[in-house]
Amino acid sequence: MKKLIVVVLLALTATSAHSEYLYGISGNMAGTGHTWGMNIGPSNTRGLRINGVYYQYTPVKNTEDDMLVHVRNKRVGGGYIFSSTDDWSGLPGGISITKGFNIDNLPIELWGDGSIDIEGTGSVVDANVIYSYKYNDDCLTPMSDPSCPGYTEAVLSMMNNTTIEAYDPMSDENISDVMDEKVDPEDEPDQEEDEGKDKLEKILSSVDESILSANVVSQNLLMFAMSHSSNIDPYYDKKLAGGVYKETVVLDGGNLPDNKKGARAGLAQQILHTKMVSMQYDPKE
Amino acid sequence: MKKLLIASLLLAPYIPAYAENAPIAGSVQTRCLITTDTNGVFGNPLPSKLSTASADGGVLPVIRYDVTLANAYLAKVTTPTSFDSSPSLVDSVAWTGSTAVTNTSDAGMSGYEAAKVTYGYTTQFDLTIAGSTWFSSTVAAVYGGTKSFPGGSYTAIVLAECIAK
Repeated sequence: MKKLIVVVLLALTATSAHSEYLYGISGNMAGTGHTWGMNIGPSNTRGLRINGVYYQYTPVKNTEDDMLVHVRNKRVGGGYIFSSTDDWSGLPGGISITKGFNIDNLPIELWGDGSIDIEGTGSVVDANVIYSYKYNDDCLTPMSDPSCPGYTEAVLSMMNNTTIEAYDPMSDENISDVMDEKVDPEDEPDQEEDEGKDKLEKILSSVDESILSANVVSQNLLMFAMSHSSNIDPYYDKKLAGGVYKETVVLDGGNLPDNKKGARAGLAQQILHTKMVSMQYDPKE
Repeated sequence: MKKLLIASLLLAPYIPAYAENAPIAGSVQTRCLITTDTNGVFGNPLPSKLSTASADGGVLPVIRYDVTLANAYLAKVTTPTSFDSSPSLVDSVAWTGSTAVTNTSDAGMSGYEAAKVTYGYTTQFDLTIAGSTWFSSTVAAVYGGTKSFPGGSYTAIVLAECIAK
């Protein structure tokens, strides 16, 4: 029984880690024509789901004419994912119709193009088709999760913006100077020995300087890579717990009585202090 | 002893019982809901005329009836014949009014307009289909022939009723 409770608690904890959904509505998809694509919701959203379809239009027809009006969306893969038909046959036109449908959170990937199709004689004016949807906000920033659409492109884009300059020792002026100088100790072995010693020191100091410079450059690159990593990694790993943090502190009302005991102690100390101060004026015995 | 017990059991039904009232409680959920979708506004195209028609600068009041039971209710909309509030008027006001279906939630409801019955200032619609129907009323008031309405605020009320058939 205890195990079961633990399992249930773990399951509840896991459930609470789910991210919250945001909700929105599209604009009038039929504003520019009687067919439309389903480009709705913010870009880079993941898990966008349609949860409602609302439409309104005014039929234009003669009462005696037959007319069917289909408002529908194709299903990706064939058929229709949403279809509503109004039969205006034998009915007068001119009176607008408004309908709303709750949809069972069907993923946007299943929704094909939408259309208002007319069978028979007549037309439709002032058409208005609106979709309501919900979506997961985890992927508003594509790099927040490797599973987000556009993640790879975002990472590559970021890497392209970073220019790393490789240090080429052969192009270092100091090293090339050193290499250009050919020291042949047998040429003038006896002349200016001190001068040769100075030259050697100079050469060695130049080499040291180049190595030091190379170290500084490579350290800079390393520091850049480290800081880059430390800047980016928390960006990937950060998980913000959702929910509401309610106030838990409860302050009881009522009167706070004076501390008479404290007052007495304070008064006694004051009296003692006054006595001590007055004692300095007492005549010496 | 056995006989005595049987006799006691036979007598038991004749013990007088106390009277008891069993209450019956119930509630009826309304299946016809009336909502004001748009408040009307009087336009003042002439000094002597107030009108809700959009051509006169007014706004039509829109009333929505939501019916969840088909063929069970009549919608009665009565346009006003007096101001609910107005400055002091010293002359008569001539009222005209009409109500029409402007929007429906079902194609079949478009037939309501042709089937409506008008008497006096009241228009009656037979709500034969479950769903929502929007009605709007055009109201005009003309003051004392061609007299100008005195300045001030004017209000009038459209009465919408849902009558069970």
